Amino acid sequence: MTRLQKLLTASALALCAATPAALAADLTVGFTLDADTLDPANHRKRETETIIRNMYDGLLTRDSSMKVVPEIAESITQVSPTEYDFKLRTGVKFHDGSDMTAEDVKFTLDRITKDGGMGDGVTSPRQGLMGPVASVDIVSDDTVRITLSEPWPILPAMLPNQQIVSKAWVEKVGNDGVATSENGTGPFKLVEWRKGDAIIMERFDDYYGGAADIAPVGKACVDRVIFKVIPESASRVAALLAGDVDIINELPPFSVAQVKNNENTDVLTVNGTRSFFIAMNMQGEFFDDPKVREAAAHAIDKDLIIDRILGGNAARIDGILSPDAFGSSELPRYDYDLEKAKALLAEAGYPDGLDVTMDVEGAFKDTAEAVASLLTKAGIRTKVEVGEGAQLVDKWRTKGAPKTGDMYFTSWGNGSLDPFDIFTPTHRTNDRGNSAGYSNPELDALLDTAAVEMDTEKRAAMYHDAEMMINADIPYLYLWVPQDIYGVSKRLKGWKPSADSRINLHDACIE
Amino acid sequence: MSLSKLLERIAQLLPVLLGVSVIVFVMMALTPGDPVQIMIGDQSITPEQEAELRRGLGLDRPMIERFFIFLGNAVQFDFGESFYHRRPVGDVIAERLPATIELSLVALIVALVTAIPLGVLAAIRKNSIFDRIATVGSLLGVSLPGFWFGILLLMLFAVHLHILPVSGRIGFDAEVRMVTGFLLIDTLLAGNLRAFGDALAHLILPAITLGLPMTAILMRVTRTSMLEVLRQDYVTFADAKGLSRRRVLFRHALKNALIPTVSVAAIETGSLLGGNMIVETVFGWPGLGRLVVESIFLRNYPLVQAAVLFYAVTYVLLNFIADLLYTVLNPRVKL
Repeated sequence: MTRLQKLLTASALALCAATPAALAADLTVGFTLDADTLDPANHRKRETETIIRNMYDGLLTRDSSMKVVPEIAESITQVSPTEYDFKLRTGVKFHDGSDMTAEDVKFTLDRITKDGGMGDGVTSPRQGLMGPVASVDIVSDDTVRITLSEPWPILPAMLPNQQIVSKAWVEKVGNDGVATSENGTGPFKLVEWRKGDAIIMERFDDYYGGAADIAPVGKACVDRVIFKVIPESASRVAALLAGDVDIINELPPFSVAQVKNNENTDVLTVNGTRSFFIAMNMQGEFFDDPKVREAAAHAIDKDLIIDRILGGNAARIDGILSPDAFGSSELPRYDYDLEKAKALLAEAGYPDGLDVTMDVEGAFKDTAEAVASLLTKAGIRTKVEVGEGAQLVDKWRTKGAPKTGDMYFTSWGNGSLDPFDIFTPTHRTNDRGNSAGYSNPELDALLDTAAVEMDTEKRAAMYHDAEMMINADIPYLYLWVPQDIYGVSKRLKGWKPSADSRINLHDACIE
Repeated sequence: MSLSKLLERIAQLLPVLLGVSVIVFVMMALTPGDPVQIMIGDQSITPEQEAELRRGLGLDRPMIERFFIFLGNAVQFDFGESFYHRRPVGDVIAERLPATIELSLVALIVALVTAIPLGVLAAIRKNSIFDRIATVGSLLGVSLPGFWFGILLLMLFAVHLHILPVSGRIGFDAEVRMVTGFLLIDTLLAGNLRAFGDALAHLILPAITLGLPMTAILMRVTRTSMLEVLRQDYVTFADAKGLSRRRVLFRHALKNALIPTVSVAAIETGSLLGGNMIVETVFGWPGLGRLVVESIFLRNYPLVQAAVLFYAVTYVLLNFIADLLYTVLNPRVKL
C-alpha cells in the first residue's frame, strides 16, 4: 500500500467513523420502565422481559396475533401427555460468536426450573411460570425433551416467556455478569445500558433470522434500537410529538386525539389481555344474596362507560375471559335495566336500596366513580374508596381467610391468553386471586380437569361450561378488557402491537 | 470548631441512624402488602413454588430475626439484595445517585443566583411594583405543582420550539467515559464540548422545575431578613457615616442578611438530594427519587431501607454544614 493509499484509506475510515450517527437508522421506544436486570431468568416483570426479548430469543415465541410459533426450536412434538420434544434449529449463534447447542437449552431451563437452579441456593423467580416441569433432558444433539410431573397443556403457551442463555458464558461471568451484560441469540445485541435512562442495542449481523413463521426472516431492519425510559405519560407523548421517539407504550386514552391529529404520528391499538371486574364480597352482609348481585349486574351500563370514559378503547366481557382467549365464547348478557335492578333489590329485602363501599386503586378512580354512580341510580348507593394497590390486595385476596369490604374494582392479567392462568386463580375456592370469596365445588372440579385436559376441543368446551356457571352465579361483575394503546411515528413500518405487550423490533423499519 | 466537637457531632449521628433503621424497618414490615404476592402478580403458582420464592427473598423468617439480620449486615454497609434488581442495593443506589446529585446541585445554583438578587432588590425597593411582582411570583413559585410546570416547559421548549430535549441526561450518541458520574464534569474532563452542551441542554428544564419552589422560598427569606437588617442601628449608623449606599448594602447589610438564607438553603438541599420523584418522573431523569418510589410500591424492602438511611445521613450532614456556615458568616456564633 502506498503512502497515498494509506492516507486515503485512513481519511475514508475517519469519515465513516465521524458520521455513523447521521446515516444509522435508529428506532427509539419511549418506554414506561427500565429493565430490572438483563438476566432472562432472574426477574419478574413484563417490562423487563419486553426489553430482554429483543436480545434473547426463546424456544418458542408468539406472533403479533398471539399465535405460539417455534423460534429457536424448529419443531415441537408431544410424545405423551407429560413429554414434549423440541427439535432445535442449527446455525443459531450467540452474540459472542459461539454456537447454540442442546446443552445450552437444558442449562437454561434447569436454571429456571430447579430449586436452587441459579446457584448459591438461589431459585429463579420465574420458576412458577414453568409449571410442573420435572426434568429437561438431551435426547440427541439437536433434540431436547421436557418432562412434566403432571399434564400441563399450557406449556407451549408459557414457553415464550423464557429465553435461552449460553451455558459457557453464564458459567464464566456468573449471575452478576448476566445481570448487567448480555449474550443472547436475538436480533439485537447490547451496546450500553444507562441505568434508569436508556438501553441501547445494535443489530446482530450473524442473526439466524428469527421464527420461520413470522415474516420477514433475516437480520433486523434497523441499525440501532433504543429503549428510552420515560415513566410519565405526558412526557412520553411530548417525546413522540417532538419526534424524539418512534414508539410509545401506554398512550393514555385522553391523548389519543392529540397524537392522531399530529401530522407525523399515529395511534395503534391491540386488544389487551387484562380483564377488569368488580368483586362482590360473597361472605359479606349484602352480596351473599344472589338477587343483590344480579341487581348490580343489571345496574351497570358497560357500553356507556366503554364509550364515554374509555374512549371506545375496550372490549366488553360477560365472563372472565377476554374475547381473544382460548375457550372464550358468547355468553348470556345482563342488560342494563334499572327497573329490573330495583325490583330485584326489593325482592331481596332492600326496597329502599342499600349503602356499600367500593375499593379501588387511584389509577382507576374515575372509572370506578362512573360505575358507582350507575349503581347508586339503581339503589345500590356506592361510595368509592381509593386505596393503595398492595394494601387492597392484602385486604381482598385473602386465600380463604375472612375478609371485610363490599366491593373491589380490580383486574387480572392473562398474558398467555390461556384460561388456566386467569380462571383458576380468580374463581377456584380460596385461590390466590379469588377476591369475591366465591366457592363452587362443581366449578373447582371442572377447572381442575380442564387444566390437564389435552384434547383442545374438549378443553375449550369445559371452559365454556365454566363460563356459563360463573355467568349464572355472578361472583364478579365482569366489565371489559381495555385495549393497549401505542403512539407511533409515521416513519415506522413493519411493526404491530401485540396483545402480550411485547415490543419485538426485529421486523420494524424506519423510513 | 474543635476536634472534640466534631467527634461529638459524629457520635450524635449513631442514635439517629439506629432510630431511623428501626422506624423504617418496622414501617415497611407492618405496611400491608406482601412483596411475594406483588412479585407473582397475575399468575397461577403452586404453594411450594410460592414458598420457595418467599425463602429466596429471606421473607420466610420471623420479623424480629429479619431485623437483626438487617442490622447486623447494615453495620458492615451491606444492605441486602434488591428483590427486583437481584443485585446489592448499595450498587443500585450508587448507580442512580450521581444523576440526582448533579440535578440537585444545578437546581440549587439556579435557585441561589436568582433568589438572592431578587430578594435583595425586593427588600431595597419595598412596596414598589417590583416588590409586589416578586412577592406574587414567589407565591406562584411555591404553589405551582412541579408536574404541571414541568410539562408546560416541556411542551413549550421541547415540542413547540424544539430547542431543548424532552427527557434523559444526554443524547444516545454521546460517548462519555464515566469518571465522577457527573456528566457536566466528565464531559469536560474528556474535552468533549459537544457532549457538555448536550448534557447542559438536558439539565436546563429539570433544574428550573426543581429549583423553582426553592427559588421562591429563598427569595422570601432573603427579602424578609434583608428588611430586618436594614432596620438595624448599625446600618443607620453606616448610612450616617456617609458610606455609599452600595457599600452599606453589600458590605454591612447583605452579609448578615444572608445567614438565614444559607441555613434554609442547606436544609432545603437535603430534600433536593432525596431525589425529586416528580421532576425525575416528568423528565425521565434516571435518579434516586423515582427508584425509591417505585420500590415502595413494589415493597422492595431492602432498597427502601437503604435509601431512607441514606436520606437520614444526608440530612444530618447538611444540618451540620449549615451550622458550620453559620459560624463562618457570623463569627459571634460558636459551635
